[in-house]
Amino acid sequence: MKDYEVIEHTADIGIRVKAKDPASLFKSAGLAMFDIIAEAPHQLSGSAIQQEISIKQEAGNLEELLVFWLNELLSLSNTKELIFFDFKVNKLEGDSLQALAFGRPAKDCKVNVEIKAATYHGLRIWQESGLWQAEVIFDV
Amino acid sequence: MTGMLEKIDDFHWRIPRSYKAGMKVDGLIYADEKLLKDIYHDKALEQVANVAFLPGIVNYSLAMPDIHWGYGFPIGGVAATDIEQGGAVSPGGVGFDINCGVRLLKTNFQYEEIKDKIRDLVYALFSDVPSGVGSKGDIRVSAKEEKQLLLKGAKWAVENGYGCQDDLECTEESGAIPGADPDAVSDRAYERGKAQSGTLGSGNHFLEIQVIDQLFDRDLCDRFELDLGQVMVMIHSGSRGFGYQICEDYSRSMIACLQKYNINVPDRQLACAPVNSPEAKQYIGAMRCAANYAWANRQCLMHLARKSFERIFSMSWQKMGMSLIYDVAHNIAKIEKYVIDGKEKLLCVHRKGATRAFGPGNPALPERYRESGQPVIIPGDMGRNSYLLVGTKKAEEETFGSTCHGAGRVKSRTASTKSTNLNTLLKELESKGIIVQASGRGTIVEEAPSAYKDVNDVVSVVHNAGISKRVCRMRPLGVIKG
Repeated sequence: MKDYEVIEHTADIGIRVKAKDPASLFKSAGLAMFDIIAEAPHQLSGSAIQQEISIKQEAGNLEELLVFWLNELLSLSNTKELIFFDFKVNKLEGDSLQALAFGRPAKDCKVNVEIKAATYHGLRIWQESGLWQAEVIFDV
Repeated sequence: MTGMLEKIDDFHWRIPRSYKAGMKVDGLIYADEKLLKDIYHDKALEQVANVAFLPGIVNYSLAMPDIHWGYGFPIGGVAATDIEQGGAVSPGGVGFDINCGVRLLKTNFQYEEIKDKIRDLVYALFSDVPSGVGSKGDIRVSAKEEKQLLLKGAKWAVENGYGCQDDLECTEESGAIPGADPDAVSDRAYERGKAQSGTLGSGNHFLEIQVIDQLFDRDLCDRFELDLGQVMVMIHSGSRGFGYQICEDYSRSMIACLQKYNINVPDRQLACAPVNSPEAKQYIGAMRCAANYAWANRQCLMHLARKSFERIFSMSWQKMGMSLIYDVAHNIAKIEKYVIDGKEKLLCVHRKGATRAFGPGNPALPERYRESGQPVIIPGDMGRNSYLLVGTKKAEEETFGSTCHGAGRVKSRTASTKSTNLNTLLKELESKGIIVQASGRGTIVEEAPSAYKDVNDVVSVVHNAGISKRVCRMRPLGVIKG
């Protein structure tokens, strides 16, 4: 999957994602981040190795919520040793979010890069040509 | 931006505070004409100007010659704030990898004596020192002990058999900064740091076997017992997931402080709070825990490296003379005293990709370095050089006792990956006598020498500007990357 653009940054790496609504935008950003981090195994061998994690986040505004969401995913990925490969954003109202993240054991994936965190530097969410767009810079 | 830079002399360039409304001080960049060409390429200078907005900032928003685009602060940025005047601390001015730093230890070996063993050593180190993304170590710490580790730092490691007392004397802050507050650390940070003690990590972190290839100051080399051809070991790592989580927790909470304390900064990653506020005190307590975690980590890594040498040479590390020269932090905020406008002031000094460089006579230095000045360790890229410098009085006068921290990136990771062929690079390195082992092949191309400025140029500026002094130069023989 390469449904995002990479923003060139001297030390780190950034992404630009587009989607039809904020919920899809959050999902796309999560997918892009984990696409940079790891390659999922080609053969997805059954549901037993999947884990589903429920996530709730609240922030002061939509942009900060996006960073909170991505950092929560990184943190959970780290502590639970999972690589997330899909997301379901159940509720995105105002500045709060409820979602599900679906992960596979990191040991079953080829992990390429460590992303330390999503940052607030250069963080943007805007609407253009009927699409929601976001830019985020990661510390790698 | 380029037009706004005023030349002061060959190594000093100013961004006047008139560049941007809200700058409280000028920006001051240490660079020469050659390095400036790279610096212009990205947004680092704009970030120097942004840092000048910090509440209570004194003298200048400083940038070292390895400066490049970061997030919030530039990498290579130094800023000091006056605590009495509402001076702020910013988690973004320390970064996610709190107390990322580097240590250098020597050996008694000459390259010629052990050149046939370098490959075995590299393989042994690669197998004995956990590296790579999410790497876990064998050094397990119980929940009760974890608090002791956060309070005692490298001393905890020594007490648990990973090194000796002498190592602590040769570590900045003796390997443990006082004032760490384990209660200010979130459960998530504890969880994230668990099982990562004694692990190298990934990205630009490394363990290298090096050889001294140039002496600059014979007297200092004699004093440090260093000579041409001598084999050295350098370790670059930080506080791993533990530090990342603390930075994230507090970057998040400090965004609310911007409104609470009526602070105006042009980038949310510069979110900060007055050092005397409860929010800042909590952050500083937690940040110091991460700093101590990192010192314990590098102490454990050094222990593992010594054990690998023992395995290959069937000799004790003491007999091989593997003593620590020094360990420095290059992502940290410290409370230090400086004279500003004739008055002694307590400042919060942020070093984001910058190294402390105290000069001769500084009381913070151990007796053995009181005359020479503090050893400063500057890692370069995996194909060229690294340096040992010492700090100077001039650094204490001009840069809050700070200097550069490395070569500084010049090319993005994606650009480096696109322009570098892995096999060609490995052959090139091998032809220079450099053996590389890495957990991820991608890391090698991302970290290719061409992605970095030439550390020789960077060090030349800090030496000529007088904010540190060259002692000797090393070149790599074996490189272990995450």
